[in-house]
Formats: sequence, structure tokens, C-alpha cells
Amino acid sequence: MDAHSFSPESAGLRRAGVLGLAAVVTVAGTLEMHRLLSAQGTSAPEVLLLVLFALCFGWIALSFWTAVAGFLQSVVGERLPGPRYPTVDEEAVPLRSRTSVVMPIHNEDPAAVFANVQATYESVPATGHLDAFDFYVLSDSTRAEAWVAEELAWSDLCRRVGGQGRIFYRRRTDNTGKKAGNLGDFCERWGRRYDFTVVLDADSLMDGRTLVKMARLMELNPRTGIIQAPPLCVGRATLFARLQQFAGRVYGPVVAAGAAAWQLGESNYWGHNAILRTEAFINHCGLPVLPGKQPFGGHILSHDFVEAALMRRAGYTVWLMPELGGSYEQPPPNLLAYAQRDRRWCQGNLQHLSLVLASGLHPLSRAHFLMGVMSYVASPLWLLFLLSGLAAALHDRFFLDPHLLEQPGLAYDAPGALRLFAVSMGMLFTPKVLGLALALARGDEARRMGGRAKLVLSVLAESVLASLLAPVMMLFQSHFVFGTLLGYRVNWSSQQREDADLPWSEGLRRHAAHMAVGVGLAAAALLVSPGLAAWLAPVVAGLLLAVPLTVLTARASLGAWAARKGLFLIPEETEPPEVLERAQGITEEHAVEPVPDAVERVLTDAKAHALHLALLESQPGLSLDTPPAALESARRKLLGGEPEPLSAQEKVAALLDAGTLAEAREQRLTRAVS
Amino acid sequence: MDSVTTMTSCPCVPSTVWARPQSRAALDAFFRGFGFTAEADLSALAAWAMDGYAAHGAQPQSALAVARARVETWLAGVLGTEHAGGSLLARGRAAFVLCDGASRGARVLMQPSAPEEFTRQLRAAVPVPAPSQVTAVMPEQHLTLWPFGEMFRRWFRGAAPDVSISR
Repeated sequence: MDAHSFSPESAGLRRAGVLGLAAVVTVAGTLEMHRLLSAQGTSAPEVLLLVLFALCFGWIALSFWTAVAGFLQSVVGERLPGPRYPTVDEEAVPLRSRTSVVMPIHNEDPAAVFANVQATYESVPATGHLDAFDFYVLSDSTRAEAWVAEELAWSDLCRRVGGQGRIFYRRRTDNTGKKAGNLGDFCERWGRRYDFTVVLDADSLMDGRTLVKMARLMELNPRTGIIQAPPLCVGRATLFARLQQFAGRVYGPVVAAGAAAWQLGESNYWGHNAILRTEAFINHCGLPVLPGKQPFGGHILSHDFVEAALMRRAGYTVWLMPELGGSYEQPPPNLLAYAQRDRRWCQGNLQHLSLVLASGLHPLSRAHFLMGVMSYVASPLWLLFLLSGLAAALHDRFFLDPHLLEQPGLAYDAPGALRLFAVSMGMLFTPKVLGLALALARGDEARRMGGRAKLVLSVLAESVLASLLAPVMMLFQSHFVFGTLLGYRVNWSSQQREDADLPWSEGLRRHAAHMAVGVGLAAAALLVSPGLAAWLAPVVAGLLLAVPLTVLTARASLGAWAARKGLFLIPEETEPPEVLERAQGITEEHAVEPVPDAVERVLTDAKAHALHLALLESQPGLSLDTPPAALESARRKLLGGEPEPLSAQEKVAALLDAGTLAEAREQRLTRAVS
Repeated sequence: MDSVTTMTSCPCVPSTVWARPQSRAALDAFFRGFGFTAEADLSALAAWAMDGYAAHGAQPQSALAVARARVETWLAGVLGTEHAGGSLLARGRAAFVLCDGASRGARVLMQPSAPEEFTRQLRAAVPVPAPSQVTAVMPEQHLTLWPFGEMFRRWFRGAAPDVSISR
């Protein structure tokens, strides 16, 4: 199948515009940098500096031109060329297809998970298309407590909304392939029942109207494999999260529109808040296990990019559609949680390096892999750039004849350096400016973001805080990249999703090394000249202030204070969409009772017991996965004379064995009666 | 024993009718699984379950099998064909417990049909964790990671290709 058959005619022009201009700007910037560096000849650190500059500048240039493309696309306001959109008449017709909405989860807070499922579910009947959708919560939870809490929360949800037979719950006993394996297992068992599958994340929320729009677009475009609805970060209260939400709301649409505008039918899939053509996904997106050891071998960790590449390889298009709206997720509550998530993503993205040259992929799929790699490698490149710049300056300071610098023609072109710096900063901040311009132009949106003055003030404050946080993230990501390359294993635990304050001790523990780097950088710069120290001041300040920045931005009280002052407001806070408000309401209204001990709960609570046994019996063969030794010791402890605490493995073994649970409960009831 | 089926609000059968206490104990355990705890309810249910069956000589396992069959018949009648299947008893029991059916007393089980509103509640509470499966195989995709290397390997009859290791 012709890999380009679905790209509209303007695709070449759009891509040449963005990629070509990015290339031209990169070459021009690199030549200028070379001119600046070669005033007194070129030392080895300067050659390295030039290479690193070219890579970093190229990355910024691509973001810049993508944002410009997004701005133009947003101003023109036209839909992306390529897909067929429904007419008014077609929108009124009932959906012919069936769609599953699946949420893979792993040891998450069941209250939040099921509140999101309920809010999403309840928003569908209003569209009149409920019959076209089924919902699945696909649990990969390994903690017994999470497992039992999920069962109870699912049962409560079904009873509340009358969702039995439409909202399903399945737990896997083994986590092969992690999230991709979880989804693959769903596809192999129930995938063929559905034309399309909407994949959600544990913190995803989608409006029923968006689900219907996506299903309709898939119906009308039979060669479309994936439609990604970019999720908007919402629903958090800490200052850090509100900064993320604000940035995502103001700058995100420009960047997303830009990416969609030039990537068109070869866009990417982000792993959630997207709809897949189920049969094509089953037939063409089964992930291979890569040869070799981690970090590059083994199961593919970041499955989404690879699935998009495989889907495209099979001849189906992948679209990013920012205009769909109604797609939400939650940002991490603080910098450390953000870094923890980045650590997982970093290894997953670096693993894609081994796929860049894989046979049969569309060039843009390869570009997506490289862009994913670059989004993490940019940090160590920036760090190396700083260090090699410092080394070059130290070299000139201590090894170069000082009289050379005084000769005309050999002195540094300081105004030229300042000009290049200004251009770099300009390109870096242009996406923010363009996003702000769009928001200001849309009066109603600006009003819902606190008014134009507050909006500008928020962008300025966000830019300052983001600049101060950037050096810490640079060190975190550099650590992750080097750690991955050195073969550290990544722990794919679930991320922190609640707004808890961070203790100062934790901040100090995590940032001690970063502060030390800041002190080292400042000392080295001062050795060269106070001027260089002034250039590095923003980086040094960010590193020295890492602890208070992390701890204070993790506070929900500061987030609330900023909201009261009208700062970092997003329209979804001032006038929340129904689905968001409902999810929040459900979380407050239907608190899920905590399960401190899963086995104890199943043995003492008649409802938990009956429900758990019913679910066990509905999945015959589960107990075959029970390790016999763990079950034996669990039985000894549960059925013996004196109750003994069970280990995590024993708890899971006991919970998988209906006979043991029934026997133990009966024993307890008999004891209670006698 | 016939009198049991005609009992109203406070069913009570003397436990002396049970020749085998083990059978009675097994039945009590079974009905406790439905949330019944009062002795009167348990006695009545045991009697109801064994109605028309030669209970005096029944082994615990046989008594239990009869009780299960009785309750399954009741559940099938109340829940309808939609929920018929292998795990009807477990799922029906879960629904019964989730709806707190035991608070209605033993009588609710002993009558061939349940009140309409309770039936509706029960049907809505039957756990349906997943629909029937339509098995498919998601074939693992073949990826030659480095086509040039693959070409060289072919020329030099090299070792294993650099594709998936799970094949």
C-alpha cells in the first residue's frame, strides 16, 4: 500500500515549510555560532560546543516553526485537510458502529478512577448514543488492597448508574507486557466485539460528545487507524499543577495545532484519549519483544509511538485533532512526581532509538521516534553545552595568551553573541507569545482566564517560574538519560496523583546534588569573569532555589492563593465543563471506603466476600496462577488456630482461591456464633 | 416439613428433625453466605431447602447439593434467562448480598418469586464482569530493526536476525 496515499496535496508544502525553515534557521544559527567561536581559532571544547549548539538550536527551531504553523492554522480556523467530516445530516444519524471505552489501571486510587469512568459514562446518554458504547476497567493491579477496592468501587458504580452489562471490570493475574499487554489481552478477548476502541489513562476523562465525534469520524474514514484527541491538563490544585494546566491551556493548543498542521495523517498516538480501529489494531499492532537487554531490548515500554508507527505501516492514517475538545487528564501534582513520570517515559523513548531504522516505517514515524528521544536527550545536550561552554571559557582564560584578546579582530564579538542569544530566547518564548496572542484575541476565553491583564501577568509569572524550574528538570532528565544508557532499570510503579504537600526534608534529599551543581557552576563562572556568572545566573538561581521551588510549588494552598488572585486560571476552572464538574462531584459524594487489608475485608464483609467470589467464578482458571507454596502458607495462617499476618504474595494467593476464602470465612462465622 | 413452606414471618423448624448435625451445619454455612445470620432464618431455610427430600439420612454434601439446586432454581426464576450460566449461583448470591436481601428474612427465598421492586434491584446488582469472549489473536509484528545489518547478515549467513525474540 502506498504509504503516502492518505496525505492531502498540501502535505508536502506544509512539511517543507516547517521542516525546511527549521533546517535553514538551524544552519544559519550554527554558522553564526561558528563565526563567534572561531575568533581566536577553534579549540576542541569549542568544536563540541558547536555540535551541541546545532542540535539544541535545531530542536528549538523545530518547536518554533511548529508553533508558527499552529498559530496560522488556528487563525485561519480551517479544519485539517484529509479526513472526511460529517455533515449536519450525518451527525443526526445513529452510530452504526460499536465502541469500547477501555481504561487500563495499575494500583490506582479507585475513587478517582471510577469517578472519571462514571462521569464519562454519564455524559454519553445525553448524546443519545449510549447503545454504541461499552466501558471496561482493565485492572493490572498487583496490590491485593487495590484489587478488592476496585471490585467494590466497580460494583457500586454499576448499581448507581444501572451499568451492569455495559460497564465491565477485568483483572489480570499476570502483568505481561504491562499497559500494552493489558490492552492486548483486552483485544484478544473482547476486541472483535467492537469496531473501535477508545483508550483512556487512569486519570483520563472524556466528554460523551467527543466520544461520539471520534466514533463518527472513524465511521466516515475507513482508512483512519487512530485519532488522537489531545488531552487538556485539569483538576489539580497545587501551584505546580496549576502552572502545568495553565501552560497546557495557553501554549498547548498552538503547539498541538502546529503538529497536526504539518504531520497530518502521519501524526502520533499518545497512548490514551484516542480512538483506535480495533481490527486494524489487532491485526497490525501486536508489539514485538525487542532483542537484547534493557534499556533497548525487552518489552517495548512506550508502546504508543510504536503502535502508531505500525498502524501507519499497515496503511492506516493517524490523526491528531486538537479541535475535538472534551479530552482531559491530570498533571502530576509536584515536580518530583513529574520527574518520576519522566523517568519512566525517558527509558521508553530512548528504547525507540533501536526502532528508528526499522524496515517499512513511514519517514514521519521515524521522525516521531527521534523527536521523542530528543525531548529527553535535549536536557543532557543542554547540560553538555553549558559545561563545554564553561570549559572553553576556562581554556581561553587560563591557556590563551591574554594579549591575543586585545588584538583587533581577535576579540569576542559580544554584540553578536548577544544577538544570537536573543534570537534563541525569542524562538524559545515565541510559542508562549503566540499562545498568549490567541488567548487575548479570544475575548471570552481571556475573560474566563481572569481577564487580559491577569492573563498577561500569569504568562509572565509562569515564564519566570518555568525558567527557574528548567535547570532542575535538565539535571533530572540528564540523570535519567545517562542512567538509562548505563542500564539502570526503570520501576514502572503508578505515579503519585494526589495533592499532598512535600516535606522540606524530601526536597533537600532530592535536590542536594542539584544545589551542589549550582554552586560548582557559579564558582567556575566566577573564575572566568563576573560577566559569565551573570550569563549563567538564571541557571544557577534555578539550581540553588531547587528545594524551596519544589516544596512551595507542591502546595495546594499556594495554588488556591494564586487562583484567588486570578493567576494561572483556565476556563475549565472558572466555568468547568459538565463532565469535569460531575467527576469532581462524584469523588466528593461517593467516597470509596479504604481497604486496609484486602483478605480481612473479604473475610469479614459479606458484600465484599460474595462479590469477590462471584468475580472469581466468572473468570475460571484464575487460581491456576496461584503459587502453591504461597497458597499453602496462606491457608496455614488463615485456617490455623491463631491468626497471623499474611505477606503480600500470600494475600494474592488467598484471594485467588475461592475455596480457601469460603472456608476461612465460614470458620470465622462459626467462631463468632459459638 | 411441608409446614415450613407455609410459614410466614417467623419460620422456625426444630433442629431435632435433623438426623445429621453436619448436614445442618453445612446448610447453615451455605445460607450464611447469603447474609442470613438469625437462627430462625437459618432453620427455616434449611427446612425449605430439604423440603421433599429425605433429609434425615442426607450426607452433608448431598444436602448442600440439594440446597444449591433449590437456590439456583429460585435465582434463575428471579433473574431471568439473561443471567443464566455456570456462575449463576455465585453471581446471584452476590446480587442478593449486595441488595441486603437477608434483611427481608428467609421468606424472600422461600417464595417462588420475589417482590417486583426487589427483583429489579437484584437484576441490576448481578455482577457481570465481562461479556462473553470473542477470541482473537494479536499477531506479533515483524520488525527488522536494522535492515542494512540484516542485509549483511544474509550475505555472510550470520546468526539470528534482529527481530522479536519471542518468536
